[in-house]
Amino acid sequence: MINIDPVKALDDKVERLKKDLKSLTARIDNTQTDAAQQQLSTTNQLRDTNRKLTKTNDRITELAESVHRLERLLVALNRKVRAGETQKADFDDWPEITKAEIAKILAGQDAYARKTFTQQEAKNTRKAIAEYDRAALIAIDAAEALTTLPPNAESLWRKKYDQWRTITRRTRPEAPDDNTHASDTVAKSAGNEAIAQARQKIRARIEDAVARDLLFPAWFENMLGPAAPPGKAGDWLYTATDVVLYRLLHDVTSPADALGSPPQEQGHRRTLHDRLVVECADYRRP
Amino acid sequence: MAADPFARLADRQHALRTALRALQAAGPGSPDFPSLVAETDKEVTAVMEARRDVEAARLATPNRALAAATTTAALIVAVGWFDAWSLLSLLLATATAAAVLVDPTGRHLLEPRARTTAITAALIATVATPLAHGWATAITAAGIAWWAWRTLK
Repeated sequence: MINIDPVKALDDKVERLKKDLKSLTARIDNTQTDAAQQQLSTTNQLRDTNRKLTKTNDRITELAESVHRLERLLVALNRKVRAGETQKADFDDWPEITKAEIAKILAGQDAYARKTFTQQEAKNTRKAIAEYDRAALIAIDAAEALTTLPPNAESLWRKKYDQWRTITRRTRPEAPDDNTHASDTVAKSAGNEAIAQARQKIRARIEDAVARDLLFPAWFENMLGPAAPPGKAGDWLYTATDVVLYRLLHDVTSPADALGSPPQEQGHRRTLHDRLVVECADYRRP
Repeated sequence: MAADPFARLADRQHALRTALRALQAAGPGSPDFPSLVAETDKEVTAVMEARRDVEAARLATPNRALAAATTTAALIVAVGWFDAWSLLSLLLATATAAAVLVDPTGRHLLEPRARTTAITAALIATVATPLAHGWATAITAAGIAWWAWRTLK
């Protein structure tokens, strides 16, 4: 049936469109609610998973710790077992390195530590010494004058006393001696030679101990680990030689602490000590 | 050791001469020069102290007399030329005089003569107070400054 009245027809159409709109709105509302619900459940799931992950992490940390404990136990146990029947390596007595050689090495290190003068510095020092000597002569003359002054010549007393005191507050600089330089050179080369020989002997004994699977002293294992780390045997041997040499040179006898107490003052010993601590920490790392 | 300060000074000067012979014989380059210098320094200090004692013995009475004169003059000026502004100068002069009266020579090496200077300045300031009023304080202050400079340097 066709509606002849155009206004009526339009009304109908509007009515139908309104109905469509209403149904569309209802559907959109439904979808929105669904999406919200879904999001909520996903968030919950994520939170759950996170919690589980954290728990797993904690567990892994615990496991790692216990593995580490076990590792240390194993090392100690290994040592105990070997201590039962294995021969022990002796890195504490070195009859083949004489006191004279040690003295030579120490003298060489002292020579290296001593300040060497450059030409200009030597010139300046000589100038300062000459100036000091001149001041000393003046001061001595002033003191000489003090022995004859009459007691009421106040300004003279003051002047001479001040002149005297210029020297008591100063010290004469050390003379740059060419002889010292020459003897230092000799001491340095002698020290280098002695150190090379001592190193050779120490290294030979450590290599022998490694080859015969001897049990290392406790301080040695504490410092350098139970064995050379794979692929780094050369470096490890070098550091081990240095540690033994350090003990020998500086009279460290502690059975547990390889390097003894750290030296307070700056110098060659301090540098070596710090270097060895760093290097050995590297070798002990798993 | 001689009790007379003059004799003691001569004594100490003689000892210093002996120490100086050793110092001169050693020369600045020798290894025991520093210890010899320290020894001679002790002798020099002893000589300076002996001289201070001589000065103290010589100046104690004059310093005391000057201080007493300053106090008296301050009283006279305070009564005769009374002025509130002048009182500052008079009070400072009296304080200096009191310090010198109690201890006319002091303990430092150059202090006896410095105290004489200070108390003389105080006396001049007191006498000048009727003319200069409070401004005379500057004279006393200069004397005290001189004293401090000599003693604390």
